[in-house]
Amino acid sequence: MSLDAFIAERQGRWGALEAAIKTAKRGRLRNQSASDIERFGLLLRQTSSDLAIARRDHPDAPITEYLNTLCARAHPLLYRGRAWRIGAIAPFFATALPRSFRAAWPYIVTSLGLTLIGFIAGWLAVDLRPDLRASLVPPSLFDEMARGQIGSGVQDAPFAAAFIIQNNIRVALICFAGGMLLGIPTAFVLLTNGWMLGTVAAAVRLGGYDFQFWSLIVPHGVLELSVIVISGGTGLMLGDAILRPGQLRRGEALARVAVRAVLLALGAATLLIIAGTLEAFVSPSSLPGGAKLAIGAGVGVLLYSWLILAGRAPRRPRGFTFDRPAETPA
Amino acid sequence: MNSSQLDTISVKTSDNVTLGYSVAGLGSRLVAQILDNLVALPITLVAILLYGALASVFVTSAEGTGFADAGAGFFAGFVYFGYFFVAEVVTGGKTPGKAAMGLRVIRVDGSAADFGALAVRNVLRIVDVGVVLIGIVIMFFQPQTRRLGDLGAGTIVVRDRAMVSLAAAVAPPPVILRTPDAGPPIDGLDHIGGVERDALRVFLSRPGLSPKLRADLATDIAGRLLDRLGLPPGAPERLWPPELFIERAYLQLDQRHQ
Repeated sequence: MSLDAFIAERQGRWGALEAAIKTAKRGRLRNQSASDIERFGLLLRQTSSDLAIARRDHPDAPITEYLNTLCARAHPLLYRGRAWRIGAIAPFFATALPRSFRAAWPYIVTSLGLTLIGFIAGWLAVDLRPDLRASLVPPSLFDEMARGQIGSGVQDAPFAAAFIIQNNIRVALICFAGGMLLGIPTAFVLLTNGWMLGTVAAAVRLGGYDFQFWSLIVPHGVLELSVIVISGGTGLMLGDAILRPGQLRRGEALARVAVRAVLLALGAATLLIIAGTLEAFVSPSSLPGGAKLAIGAGVGVLLYSWLILAGRAPRRPRGFTFDRPAETPA
Repeated sequence: MNSSQLDTISVKTSDNVTLGYSVAGLGSRLVAQILDNLVALPITLVAILLYGALASVFVTSAEGTGFADAGAGFFAGFVYFGYFFVAEVVTGGKTPGKAAMGLRVIRVDGSAADFGALAVRNVLRIVDVGVVLIGIVIMFFQPQTRRLGDLGAGTIVVRDRAMVSLAAAVAPPPVILRTPDAGPPIDGLDHIGGVERDALRVFLSRPGLSPKLRADLATDIAGRLLDRLGLPPGAPERLWPPELFIERAYLQLDQRHQ
């Protein structure tokens, strides 16, 4: 077919596709009727096949470039992942987040391990060299505990909560994003975090303030530490995908885990809002220490029953069922 | 589009057609970033002023002031990075700066960047911008100008090429001046195809060339074509004036393809 005849015969649908692209709003066809979208798909497929013909028969003609531009613009309008909706938030927390938590367990366990190594190292450091206690643990903490001040309530608790939340979210995001740098910053943050907790815990043990200290830490710490460990796990996921891509190219291996990892990290980070609120309002409050510990334990039970149990596929009943017709060979 | 060119990527679609996208370069990416900063930084500034005003009204203790001051930096970062995230999600991968530069984020398979991909590339923006602008260094060395966030999200920033109008894409019609019809059949035209026909067409569609240039070009083209056809030295076609030969060859090729 001559170029002119080709163009004359088919330009009608190209014009129609061009017009259809212009009706898309903000890169989406969402506002259109089902039949319009079906027609869009037909026009795109027809134009794509025209592009293939033009490539073969008229590779240097301007019309080929025109058709390529047309298809390149139309293609992402039709081919796209699932759109983001407000309504997707509830199912995300109900099923997707606990599932990706469980799927990521080797990384989360590793992350927990790094935290524990830091904790033990910190504990041993204070235990072996009690004289270093002052340089490892802020002395003001002891002064406050000695004077019974700690736990006497914080003024401006909302601002304290906001500060605590943002600080933890920052740590969580560093844990995740550090994965891109082979997970080295992630491991560093986890170890330091464990170290700090370990030194403080050993120091308060030496000082005999165990109960006051833990009742101050546990109500929010259960959530906070869990979220840091989870974000650390997501960072290790990224680092592992880069270091050991397996059969894939590094970029592909990374892209394959990154979306799951970021959604897990962001989802976990939202828990920090709860943790920060507890830290500002409950932990320093005048509630009895036992009640605070109970709150922490309750939060922990809720958190882990959700993460471990939610979103499991219903278990198929064991034994004989009539699911498949009896005569079908197995 | 030639897939071997560094500044284009070829995407094979589900219709098994290869689409060519031209990849946005470092320069236009950076200009888009600067333009976005012109929007994002004032927004951040206003947000910080509001935050300060709120803090000065509600904070009562010295301790609270400390918390509020310490939180300000994070709040600023949250608003600044949030601007890019929200802008990309709302517009489907075109922040105002990118739109101004004609850029767009897509996934490497040519589909639109979805929420998950945009979340990855915007959370990792913190690394790209935060770690001594490592993103720019990586974009400089990465053949497709992708930063860490793009690599993690499987996205790429492409040029939203201006739509060439159909009228401009249609080549001007050939002008036949010397021959009333296609003339006697030329031997060996089976050997050549659409590429040669298009080349002849381009020549014929430019009657306005200076006569000297046109004659030289015609001699050159006709000579190459005669060699390609493998016509014997005594063939009558070799005696036709070059321009007449070109016109007849074109008309015959065109007829054959219709």
